[in-house]
Amino acid sequence: MSREIDDLDDLFENAPCGYVSAGPDGRITRANSTFASWLGREPSEFVGRRFQDFLNIAGKIYYETHFAPLMRMQGFFNEVALDLVHADGSRLPVLVNAVERRDQEGALRFVRITIFNASDRRRYERELLEARRAAENANAELQKLNHTLEERIAEAVEARMKSEAALRQAQKMEAVGQLTGGIAHDFNNMLAVILSALNLLERRLAKGEDISRYIAAAKDGAARAAAVTQRLLAFSRQQTLAPEPLYANQMVAEMSELLRRTLGEAVRLETVLAGGLWQILTDKNVLENAILNLAINARDAMTEGGRLTIETANCHLDEANGAEHDVEPGQYVMVAVTDTGTGMTPDVVAKAFDPFFTTKGPGKGTGLGLSQVFGFVKQSGGHIKIYSEIGQGTSIKIYLPRYYGAAETRKRLEARTLARGADSEVVLVVEDDEQVLALTAQMLRDLGYGVIEARGGEEALAALSAHPEIRLLFTDVVMPDMNGRRLAEKALERRPDLKVLFTTGYTRNAVEHNGVLDPSVNLLQKPASLEQLAVKIRTVLDG
Amino acid sequence: MGVLRRNNVQIMGSGQKAMVFAHGFGCDQNMWRFVWPTFADEYRIILFDHVGCGGSDLKAYNVGKYASLEGYADDLIEICRELDITHGIFVGHSVSAMIGAVASIQAPELFDDLVMIGPSPRYIDDEDYTGGFSEAQIEELLDFLDDNHMGWSQAMAPVIMGNPDRPELSAELTNSFCMTDPEIAKRFARVTFLSDNRADLALVTARALVLQCSEDVIAPQAVGAYVHQCLPNSAFVLLQATGHCPNLSAPEETISAMKTFLEARDRERQI
Repeated sequence: MSREIDDLDDLFENAPCGYVSAGPDGRITRANSTFASWLGREPSEFVGRRFQDFLNIAGKIYYETHFAPLMRMQGFFNEVALDLVHADGSRLPVLVNAVERRDQEGALRFVRITIFNASDRRRYERELLEARRAAENANAELQKLNHTLEERIAEAVEARMKSEAALRQAQKMEAVGQLTGGIAHDFNNMLAVILSALNLLERRLAKGEDISRYIAAAKDGAARAAAVTQRLLAFSRQQTLAPEPLYANQMVAEMSELLRRTLGEAVRLETVLAGGLWQILTDKNVLENAILNLAINARDAMTEGGRLTIETANCHLDEANGAEHDVEPGQYVMVAVTDTGTGMTPDVVAKAFDPFFTTKGPGKGTGLGLSQVFGFVKQSGGHIKIYSEIGQGTSIKIYLPRYYGAAETRKRLEARTLARGADSEVVLVVEDDEQVLALTAQMLRDLGYGVIEARGGEEALAALSAHPEIRLLFTDVVMPDMNGRRLAEKALERRPDLKVLFTTGYTRNAVEHNGVLDPSVNLLQKPASLEQLAVKIRTVLDG
Repeated sequence: MGVLRRNNVQIMGSGQKAMVFAHGFGCDQNMWRFVWPTFADEYRIILFDHVGCGGSDLKAYNVGKYASLEGYADDLIEICRELDITHGIFVGHSVSAMIGAVASIQAPELFDDLVMIGPSPRYIDDEDYTGGFSEAQIEELLDFLDDNHMGWSQAMAPVIMGNPDRPELSAELTNSFCMTDPEIAKRFARVTFLSDNRADLALVTARALVLQCSEDVIAPQAVGAYVHQCLPNSAFVLLQATGHCPNLSAPEETISAMKTFLEARDRERQI
């Protein structure tokens, strides 16, 4: 029996935890050796004291305000982290459990307090805390860094976008400049044709002669001018589509001459036109423009030359195609423009329809062309698809919805005017535009002048040698092989007394600043009326 | 949000006269569970939790407002006015004894009697004044709260209702009587242990009972004596109960002292 008591006593005294018993008044009746040794005291020193007396100040306060009430209310508390104070003043972190023991009547007999040494655990907790704090700091740093990075990227992107916008604007302005200049030149030639025709009409009518040639010429000039205007509007994106039923084959055939000239000699044009092609309802001028646009892109992709194929076909886009390409399933007419050029990477294909996207160097392209084509096709309820292989070439297919209604020809406005004139000196007219040449010559003849026609510089020089009676050289400034100024210089070397009159569709400023003409020379601005021509010729001859 | 909901006000008892109980730092209205039933027949019992404690609305906690005891006193006044309380009895434990004193100065009509259990107008010693703590000790306490958050949380874990970092705690909480938000409890400790309301004591017009525990580390006997000495009209009872919460550890003795005080008041009135 005493052995058992010894054993239990040993267990109590030397257990790996501290045991403290306290009476109902909270005063300690017994503390085990383990607990006493932890605090560097004798077990007897605890008797009569209270457990909280051995806590640090925070522990005392929390014990009184939190844990003592808790134990009183629920009869126990568990795993409360507290710091005990060692006899030498050092701290011992502990975890404390306490439980009230009551008798059958519910009266408090004693309180058993069990204390676990928590030095290691508290150290882990501290390390964990520090690690967590470090992680939080690192995270905060990272977030800050991310934030900064995001800001920097946003700034860089903004700067980049600004400069790109500026570049696009510059490119646009350059393109507008080029276009304006080119269009003005073409336009003036057309107006020259119209004006000349009207002047001649006026004169022929007066004489009661046949005028149909001139009416036709005026109409043709006006129509060409209208087409140019349409292109200008398309460029400025202010066009309203004027759909008309049309056959794509006919349109492509009509365009082939224009296309050949546009493509140059290095590119061979082939057309593969499907028989029985359905009608489409679309704006002819815009579609022409779109095809021309694609053809120019194709040409630019074939710097070494190649083959451009324009193909038409009837197509049926089914549900699958429709879903994939976001078009209504149904019947379509396809117009494909295929080149044997450099091809595009998938990357470029993906962006090809983006406004302002261009693969051409600065000043060579506006990046507007394909986006306009895309916009037009979509506006027409159609679809456009690019197939491209690097090194093989590119095929761009436009699908436009089939039109089921009857074909109807648009009525065109008739132009009408009268003509008249007189005189008798020989004028050599040099002009590369056949029609302008013919009309100018006719006007001069109507004015009574002798007229010799030449289509270029060499022909003109030959005519000068052959016809010493020529008194006036009337030449266009901008011509492909030899420009007007060069021609005039050569002519004056042979015929110093020869009178010279230049004409151009460019503004005087443009030709002077380009060094083509001296400010002092005689210049007749195209398009000139018959009256303006008569006055200028007379002045130069008499000068 | 109504005042009653904000402070989790509970109204019990069948009497006319109101008896308002206010818990101290570290607990909630649960701490009155052994005391209020005795008075329920005679009084209208009002229990509540300070904002940040127990079942109060934690969202109503405002750092600026509760940076001094006046913020808590304002809430007490609002509760009483909401319940049309006048000439009532206020029973406050620990820091709430002083909160009740401050409220009674601002709104003297609310309470005729103040029962102050373990009151302390200032915890830190000051020249001739004994508060029970040196400045260094209170600094140690506050540093402990500030620097050792997890250790403190660890110490507090048993009494924390919800610990977002350790959700498993709330599920297996065995120590769940007095709920408190750890961050708010830290601030409440700071407000409590740095308070100095000694000058208010002389302004209290209500009759007061100072209940002083033996061996109270939070409010030593010298502090209770000081409070009694400064109050214009007070009684002082030294309880045999030890510790800081006689309402829990020795409810019978506490109730008996309160009854004696209240009956003396009634006898005075009869005379």
